[in-house]
Amino acid sequence: MSTQTDTSSNALRAETFEGNLQRYLRGLGGLVVFLLVWWVGAMTTQPSYLVPGPLESVYAFIELFATSTTIVAPVLGSSLVLPTGLAHLAQTLFHYVPGLLLGAGCGIGLGLAMGWNGVLDDWLRPLVRVLRPIPPLAWIVFAIVWFGIHHTGAAFIVFVGAFWINFYGAYGGVEGVSTDLTDAASTLGVERDLSMLKLVALPSAAPQVLTGFRTSIGRCWMIVVGAELFGAPGVGYEIINASNNLAMATSVAYMFLISLAFLCMDVGFRLLERRVLAWR
Amino acid sequence: MALSSDSSVGRDAREKITIQNVSRSYESTQALDDVSFSVPEGEFCCVVGPSGCGKTTLLRAIAGLDDPDGGSILVGGDPVTGPGLDRGMVFQEYALFPWRTVRGNIRFGLDRPACDCPDCEGRVRELIDLVGLDGFEDAYPKELSGGMKQRVGIARALAPDPEIILMDEPFGSVDARTRDRLHAELLDIWTQTGQTVVFVTHDIDEAVTLADRVVVMDADPGTVQSTFSIDLERPRERTSRDFVDHVARIRDALGSPVDTSH
Repeated sequence: MSTQTDTSSNALRAETFEGNLQRYLRGLGGLVVFLLVWWVGAMTTQPSYLVPGPLESVYAFIELFATSTTIVAPVLGSSLVLPTGLAHLAQTLFHYVPGLLLGAGCGIGLGLAMGWNGVLDDWLRPLVRVLRPIPPLAWIVFAIVWFGIHHTGAAFIVFVGAFWINFYGAYGGVEGVSTDLTDAASTLGVERDLSMLKLVALPSAAPQVLTGFRTSIGRCWMIVVGAELFGAPGVGYEIINASNNLAMATSVAYMFLISLAFLCMDVGFRLLERRVLAWR
Repeated sequence: MALSSDSSVGRDAREKITIQNVSRSYESTQALDDVSFSVPEGEFCCVVGPSGCGKTTLLRAIAGLDDPDGGSILVGGDPVTGPGLDRGMVFQEYALFPWRTVRGNIRFGLDRPACDCPDCEGRVRELIDLVGLDGFEDAYPKELSGGMKQRVGIARALAPDPEIILMDEPFGSVDARTRDRLHAELLDIWTQTGQTVVFVTHDIDEAVTLADRVVVMDADPGTVQSTFSIDLERPRERTSRDFVDHVARIRDALGSPVDTSH
């Protein structure tokens, strides 16, 4: 039994290694073609600022880390001197992270509660139907009049975005808990509703909850940049700031930076997910 | 007052499960219609019948997972009001907690406040040994074959040391050879623990292999049609004349229009 599994998984690994190599090469090819098209496009477009070239953009990216900028950390009020790129990334994170975590926490909380409690579900479902389709960025007007377009305002927008994605992850996860499992738990002495939620519904919903959270990591990057285009400090603001000076290569450099930051978070979270959901 | 004590005196003291005039209907079907029978303590009782005869509903009602519309179910003389650790259940599709290892699944019923075992880890090891899953303690259900999954299901149900084991077509999804092995192992365990077993199946061979007594049910409405005592020595030889006779008699009772073989 165990030897059988071992050999088959080895074969699988060998197969996927070769498959992976091929996939990597193809991916690399795609990138090279894209860079060429970009390069030629940039060379032939006038005026040159319309399409900054790849090399130019890389220089701009390096430039982000060659200079330094002073920013003020919210709440603490202390000044930080960081390489320019990191400084603006930090500014973004100052509203991205609290908005994401708080939004995810509240969304998962309400999703679990509504998915688990039919009465609450009855009460809130129409409300959810009405509020859910509103794009998070539409709330920007309230973010501005309530909090001002600074860290708190931007965090609020991110909160709204994170809230709904996580809400649906948790809601669907708990709703989909198999009655076989809750029946089994009942016969094994789980009596209280809260114990059932903790021992059966939550672990059973974990994959969907985590998928919801991972999706919100990406979605919130889009939202946060949107909020910053309205004036909150951070990489999104720098994109528009640079373009106002026609330094389009710097705008591209900040776009890279966002992509890199998102990639790091996504890969990190996937690793965590794989570990937590080893049972799947 | 006097009446009710009279009736309890009149009942066989060794009756473990008493089903009295139980009825249960869903929208358009009468799953159970005035079903009555009882299971003495320590008996291995099989319930057979075509699909839709309410045998699973009956089992779930004994487990306290389903509330009948009428009649009553007594376990050890007390009416069933909900699930309890005195009745362990083994499910057709295993119903293992996929996020828990073999050990974690078996441990589940021992971690409840209502259950106080002095040495839970020892108990879990004992059960893993009993169902022959040594070496798979830390495997997740997805890594196990159907037969192994059901071994976990059985060990998990046995863990809180229930007086009654309820089994809902537990071997319906395992291959024939594994099923034969599991039958032998189940009978072994039952001999060791002396628990009362109610085992639901649509497979007459399986019922005659295992049971002290077979309760035959009819479908639509679900009623008890007849009961058969199987007084054959165990292990039972399926090709023996007596075995074949018992199977034939039960098949006749079920009636030819209903195809119970699969």
